[in-house]
Amino acid sequence: MARDFDLSVVIVAYQMHRELPRTLFSISKDYQTWRGAPANVQVIVVDNGSDPPLRREDYEAIGLDLTLVRPECPAPSPVPAINMGLALAEAPLVGAFIDGARLASPGLLQGVRDASNLCAIPVIAPLNWQLGPQRQYLASQTGYDQDVEDRLLDSIHWPEDPDRLFEIAVCEVQPTPEAPLLESNALFLRKDVWDALGGYDPAFDEPGGGCANPDMLLRACAYPGAELVRLVDEGTFHQFHGGVSTSDLDQATAMMKAASKAYYRLRGVPLRPVRAKGLVLRSRGGGREC
Amino acid sequence: MEEKTAHSAQVPNIPVSDAELKAWMVTYISDLLALDAAQVTTSDTFEVFGMDSVEAVVMAGVMEEEFGAPVEPSLLLEYPSIDLFVAANVKDG
Repeated sequence: MARDFDLSVVIVAYQMHRELPRTLFSISKDYQTWRGAPANVQVIVVDNGSDPPLRREDYEAIGLDLTLVRPECPAPSPVPAINMGLALAEAPLVGAFIDGARLASPGLLQGVRDASNLCAIPVIAPLNWQLGPQRQYLASQTGYDQDVEDRLLDSIHWPEDPDRLFEIAVCEVQPTPEAPLLESNALFLRKDVWDALGGYDPAFDEPGGGCANPDMLLRACAYPGAELVRLVDEGTFHQFHGGVSTSDLDQATAMMKAASKAYYRLRGVPLRPVRAKGLVLRSRGGGREC
Repeated sequence: MEEKTAHSAQVPNIPVSDAELKAWMVTYISDLLALDAAQVTTSDTFEVFGMDSVEAVVMAGVMEEEFGAPVEPSLLLEYPSIDLFVAANVKDG
């Protein structure tokens, strides 16, 4: 029987046994704040080969409408996994967390719902943040790790006062929220637009997916009639988990260069951030600067 | 003063003429920023054009693909304008 979802959220996780429970709690009804009735949210987690495998029963207490699936042959790239999840999404508005280690701000989903009403074909891009005093590939050089991060979250009493996440994180979009935008790790599009675009491009088959996520944003913004909506004062917050692009400066630089070369070979043009300002939604009124 | 050599990691080593390299970089930046090539002042720093460190890494990768020579992204920070980068290039690779 078809269920009547308002939003679907697709999350890819690989070896995120520490991070995923927080991510899932951050999109739960107990955490998200709503004006009026909460949206009916479908959550789809794709376990991209974790060892040990993720278990649905570990997340039942969070109270989500959760589907947990696992590809038969998980790939090094998260692209097949995210596309598997997108194919299961039922709501008219679908978000993709290609990196499951990202906490949501408490107004994220209400902000997405608001953004969806701003134009006919919205490309809703909450900004990316990283927990810690600076970008994690830099912070890790001076001792930032999962233990430090746990203490940092404890210091703001997360999740009791989740707005304080902004106090312990840095925004990836600098120097202002209207700066060139490379990607959003909580990209929301209409379901029919995801279908028309064919989801993420499986040609990005390298570990971590290379430029698949920036490419997805570029293709979404190029969709006929689409308008970028920057969701400025909501966002997702990256937890330190040893990911290929956020853990080490040299590794991040080498990975980005290799990914940009692969993108150039594939598309025939250099990877470029989205420079259009688009619509800027400051869901809390005054807004929050990066 | 220490002489820069083709084999130093501290200088670009792209096997094209100064004029070709300069023209390529002007085209790259003008395309990136949707400017006319005439609007790209080669003495301006990449930062003036609004290029950030990620875009420098991307540009280094594309240069590698185009010219078949290794380009460390840090060179674009060390020589942060078209003029400085071209002047530093030893092109004997």
